[in-house]
Amino acid sequence: MQAQQVQQFFVRYKIAALLLAVALIWIFFHLGTDGAFVTPRNIANLLRQMSITGLLACGMVFIIIAGEIDLSVGSLLGLLGGVVAIFTVNMQWSTAMAICVTLLVGLGIGMFNGFWVTRMRVPSFIVGLGGMLAFRGILLGVTHSATIAPVPDGLVYLGQGLVPIGLSLILGGVIFLTLLGITVRRRMRRAKLDLKQAPLWMDVAKLVVIGVVIAGFLRMLNDAGGVPVPVMILLAALAIFSYIASQTVFGRHIYAVGGNMEATRLSGVNVSRVKLVVFALMGLMAAFAGIINTARLAAGSPSAGTNGELDAIAACFIGGTSMRGGSGTVHGALIGALVMASLDNGMSLMDVDTFWQMIVKGSILVLAVWVDVLSGSNRG
Amino acid sequence: MSDYLFEMHHIVKEFSGVRALNGIDLAVRPGECVGLCGENGAGKSTLMKVLSGVYPYGTWQGEILWEGKPLKAYSVRDSEKAGIVIIHQELMLVPKMSVAENIFLGNEIKKPGGRMDYDAMYRQAEALLARLKLKDVNVAAPVMNYGGGYQQLFEIAKALAKNARLLILDEPSSSLTSSETDVLLSIIEDLKREGVACVYISHKLDEVARVCDTVTVIRDGQHIGTRPMAELSVDKIIAMMVGREITDLYPRVDHPIGEVIFEARHVTCWDTTNPNRKRVDDVSFQLRRGEILGIAGLVGAGRTELVSAIFGAYPGRSEAELLMDGKPIKVKSPEQAIRAGLSLVPEDRKRQGIVPLLGVGDNITLATLEHYSHAGRIDRNAELATVEREITRLRVKTASPALAIVGLSGGNQQKAVLTKMLLPEPRVLILDEPTRGVDVGSKHDIYKLMFELAAKGVSIIMVSSELSEVLGVSDRVLVIGEGRLRGDFVNQGLTQEQVLAAAIDAKPQSSAA
Repeated sequence: MQAQQVQQFFVRYKIAALLLAVALIWIFFHLGTDGAFVTPRNIANLLRQMSITGLLACGMVFIIIAGEIDLSVGSLLGLLGGVVAIFTVNMQWSTAMAICVTLLVGLGIGMFNGFWVTRMRVPSFIVGLGGMLAFRGILLGVTHSATIAPVPDGLVYLGQGLVPIGLSLILGGVIFLTLLGITVRRRMRRAKLDLKQAPLWMDVAKLVVIGVVIAGFLRMLNDAGGVPVPVMILLAALAIFSYIASQTVFGRHIYAVGGNMEATRLSGVNVSRVKLVVFALMGLMAAFAGIINTARLAAGSPSAGTNGELDAIAACFIGGTSMRGGSGTVHGALIGALVMASLDNGMSLMDVDTFWQMIVKGSILVLAVWVDVLSGSNRG
Repeated sequence: MSDYLFEMHHIVKEFSGVRALNGIDLAVRPGECVGLCGENGAGKSTLMKVLSGVYPYGTWQGEILWEGKPLKAYSVRDSEKAGIVIIHQELMLVPKMSVAENIFLGNEIKKPGGRMDYDAMYRQAEALLARLKLKDVNVAAPVMNYGGGYQQLFEIAKALAKNARLLILDEPSSSLTSSETDVLLSIIEDLKREGVACVYISHKLDEVARVCDTVTVIRDGQHIGTRPMAELSVDKIIAMMVGREITDLYPRVDHPIGEVIFEARHVTCWDTTNPNRKRVDDVSFQLRRGEILGIAGLVGAGRTELVSAIFGAYPGRSEAELLMDGKPIKVKSPEQAIRAGLSLVPEDRKRQGIVPLLGVGDNITLATLEHYSHAGRIDRNAELATVEREITRLRVKTASPALAIVGLSGGNQQKAVLTKMLLPEPRVLILDEPTRGVDVGSKHDIYKLMFELAAKGVSIIMVSSELSEVLGVSDRVLVIGEGRLRGDFVNQGLTQEQVLAAAIDAKPQSSAA
């Protein structure tokens, strides 16, 4: 009976189970590395490593919820990272201009992929597979298979820089106050419409937990010099994509399209347009990831982003996104990315051989989805 | 010592504290057919899952006896080994595999080395089909070459190949024509004579009355009664099922019929695979304000294609001239159709109606999200207020609007889909088989709603295969046969025979001016 209740709790709050898994992994590595894992410097490092997979996962989770897949994003990340390097290094464009144009190119390529999936009705698996080869080929062609360096400092800041401590404290405060405001407004509005209210203590407890998490996060990273810029960008992406998923008409349509495309179409939703926009957003996120990757390495590399799509897809599935579409969350996918990054980082610290790292990551992916399947099928 | 082949005693099944079954008894003798009746959500499917081992022994309370000995089935395989085979509502055949391969799927006759023994399988398949009086079937041809009626019989052959001694038929006639149903029922009679026991689950009570010897009725998970059919009538079974007497299944309300508001001209649809074949051939009709227009015809006559083409949802090539208030409207997609004031409740609820994983509320508002949103952002509270109002109004039974819709019974899912398509406030509501697989109580609610809407001036087009429903509800009846309009009748003194004659006869006839 006790075990069943615990299980039901985790089925309902998948996220709690995921966080518990992250905590266990962290404890394991912390003990395994004699306390070298959970230190401000390493956590900052780990989050920085995770940010690129995380940005891809933000876009990918929408694609998978909509019932599609995009295998081209690793190559696309590499291509767009190369493009931004060419713009800034070879063509001497200003950093801002290069970034804007690269983002537009990413958006355009994403739409192009979406066009092939929706209008030309080629299965997305095939479109992705084709793009994976073709985009990598274009990258090798335009860079002549050579690393492009050095990129300007302004760009490097996006990958290696730290947010000033004062600014991050202000942002943290603003986020907390916004959440407080939203909660108060929701309670007032629900009272006005005569809807059921969550108990007051629950809302208060939620806010206290969020406050503590924000404070702890800032304290930890500021001890290491500040919040890394890519992490800040990832958090912004998390906020925006979660907002889209849970608050907007478009977000609801993504879930509906993935859940039952035919029923959604007959409800008057333009399903092709929904999918097209989802692919366009994926292209945009690949552009962000590519730019930050180039910034982090301070160079455009022809091999950048290899297997990036697999990490992003694995992150989504570990984070509880359904293979068949129709369900999943952005924060789940990001915690999935955190799991992958923690494994990478922890095993590197422990000096585990690369081949072992690959075996462990592969096994964890299969295990995580297995646990998800188990908990899903046991639902009454 | 009992003469029962199979007995279930006091079955109780709980889902997280909610009792779905509360003390059900069911018993079948060899060669007997027991009808299991109950509204959707009464617990029939749950009971069948207990019976067939989908819910393994130990997850429910009570006792199952097979030939007087306790049966402990931990999986479907265990119950099949004993001789219990379920034939599901949806056919479980692999369309591209041959008839014989399907009949022996999972049960193949093998030669050494795991090779398929086709000769033996073809021989035995033919023998099994001969038992079912099917002689003109090529057992080596793919199943998809045969119609729904044949396929249903292949399912029975598949069950017999497993040496079934208790056959459970779940809504076996839902996709059959009436003559195919006749064949099915006579075959069940034959099987009874051979000593095979049956449990027949159906909403079509006239079939139950024809083929069953005993009827067990359940309601809300409770055992209501088991009586010999000889003591019962269709009306008595309905009364037991709903717990109240439905004296008038069609609660007709007089409603004024106004001017012509909608017109479809020259609707033509071509087959998706054969571009020369017309599924709908030049059908034109008018619709008046507040009118309920029934569309009757045989299965496959082109009725669903006709209404999908009007709604912009036909998958293949189609042409139509549509006019609303005398002005032409352009409808190339469901999106445009809804904007023009049309709504369609599709035929296949599972495939086209619900988004299973989304909540009941999210399903209800899917077509009208813009109503509760500002600049693309959903106002969840305004949405929830609408959802709760509609759930109460249509009596949709759900514990919470956030619950996934897939957990609801068929009737309640149908009400939710209906609500979804009513929220855009259509002027013309198209209902394609609105009461298929829906229990009597929900049926009554849906008819009532249709008359209320008509009284408010909404025009309704209803496609239905049930002639009694068409005649019970419609103001006017169109008959479609082989894609053409074959009759246009005012529903006054109209008989089922007249409609059926028009559906079969090729000569167009009309009693309307």
